[in-house]
Amino acid sequence: MKNISLFFIGFLLTFTSCVGDDFLEDFVNESLRITSSIDSIEINTTFQFEKMFLNNIGQEETANVTWSSSNTDIIEIDQNGLATAKQKGAATISVEFETDTQTLKDEVTVVVGETTVLTQNRIEGRVETTTFYDLAGDFVYYEDGDKILLEFGEDYIASNRLPGLYVYLSNNKNSVAGAFEIGKVTTFRGAHTYELEGIGFNDYKHIVYFCKPFNVKVGDGTIQE
Amino acid sequence: MKNISLVFIIIIVFSTFSFAGGPWPQQKGKGYFKLSEWWIVFDQHFTDQGLIDPNVTTGIFNTSLYAEYGITDRFTTILNAPLLSRNFMNNLRSATTEDIIVAGEAINRLGDIDLGFKYGLTKPGAKIPIALSLILGLPTGTPVAGELNNLQTGDGEFNQIIQIDAGRGFNIGKTPAYISAYTGFNNRTKDFSEEFRYGVEFGLGLLNRELWITSKLNAVESFKNGATAETVTSTSIFANNSEFSSIAFEASYYVTKKVGISAGVAGAFRGEIIAAAPSYSVGVFLDLSR
Repeated sequence: MKNISLFFIGFLLTFTSCVGDDFLEDFVNESLRITSSIDSIEINTTFQFEKMFLNNIGQEETANVTWSSSNTDIIEIDQNGLATAKQKGAATISVEFETDTQTLKDEVTVVVGETTVLTQNRIEGRVETTTFYDLAGDFVYYEDGDKILLEFGEDYIASNRLPGLYVYLSNNKNSVAGAFEIGKVTTFRGAHTYELEGIGFNDYKHIVYFCKPFNVKVGDGTIQE
Repeated sequence: MKNISLVFIIIIVFSTFSFAGGPWPQQKGKGYFKLSEWWIVFDQHFTDQGLIDPNVTTGIFNTSLYAEYGITDRFTTILNAPLLSRNFMNNLRSATTEDIIVAGEAINRLGDIDLGFKYGLTKPGAKIPIALSLILGLPTGTPVAGELNNLQTGDGEFNQIIQIDAGRGFNIGKTPAYISAYTGFNNRTKDFSEEFRYGVEFGLGLLNRELWITSKLNAVESFKNGATAETVTSTSIFANNSEFSSIAFEASYYVTKKVGISAGVAGAFRGEIIAAAPSYSVGVFLDLSR
């Protein structure tokens, strides 16, 4: 009896596998960018610039950056990114960060005028499949007042055979780690729009379609390089 | 609409085709019993276009009891019970940082039990025996489990398969052999698509019938009349409308007159929403019909 018990225990253990590891190639170049979108600052007022440093997997990290202005007579900026518009004209606002291996930099040109004008951003692009499942469509990612909208056109198509297809905004087109989950895909053909809340327009670089049950990316589109 | 992921489709594909094979019912009071381990580990699958895409490494291990018992010479009851079904998915880690992106999981549960009844439409000893089978796929497994709801040991729906088998035994020289074919219809509940099933099996008895080599061709064609992600708005995960063609080989060796061991391999060579990897099985059986 003991031998039979040992046989069955061994039988079960032999075929009971442990959870292992799969590895996702998710390296991206580190980047630094100014996420504030502004065309002009009203003279004698201030504006808080925001920046984002993304590490080598596209995740945001804190960074001790250096802010500077090309013309401090027009715009002065402190090391917290708070800009003061001093006189009419244009100046380039720069932000820099030195990593262990490189110096990252981004800059925007801003006008000082009678009023503060925030940029109404609008980016057009296209999502494409990266697998053998159907996924394609032109999109417009834009601001409408306080809203951020992601709008797909009539040419959009996605396979309805995949279980659990989700759409994300991510800073790594191969990964949804730390990504913003827009939601489960419920429209598989034709025009539709997502209204996005709780994010900034420049917070993400890519649209990523991801199948949760299979844990694989299905397609992507680029918002900004 | 209940959940069904890629995981369970694989179970359906490669396990239930060992079920109720052939048009030969057991003799009254005779039976065939088998304890087996069946498993598959795969990291790619056939897409809805029949092409191969990757997926996170997934594994299924079923410890099953299979039994056929003759109530009469023409009426046999059949049981296929995955007593322990283990389903796991690997961790998905960053190759850059090695941090976990999506944590892997595993469950160990009872699987979906199949209960079958086979009736010989022809008398025992007929030259071309024909049998009719009713197979009931009972939703005894777990259709949803795990943090992401993507583990399961059953589909949560009730399969009702009507199947007709015909075959013939013959000799190749002095070597006994048989060939059989079947066709069936699977009526499914809860918005799963109905299926048309068919296949052929060839067996060869070697070493004075102590070693049987069998090969099977099985296919499922979906009616594609069930739900899709487009028609279901719940947050459940599922795949439906799967279909495939698979080939299987099995060797069964009688260690004694009635007790034997078996080993098999099977895999889909065409499919939609189905694992693209071979499955394996080993077992110990008791054949009271000899």
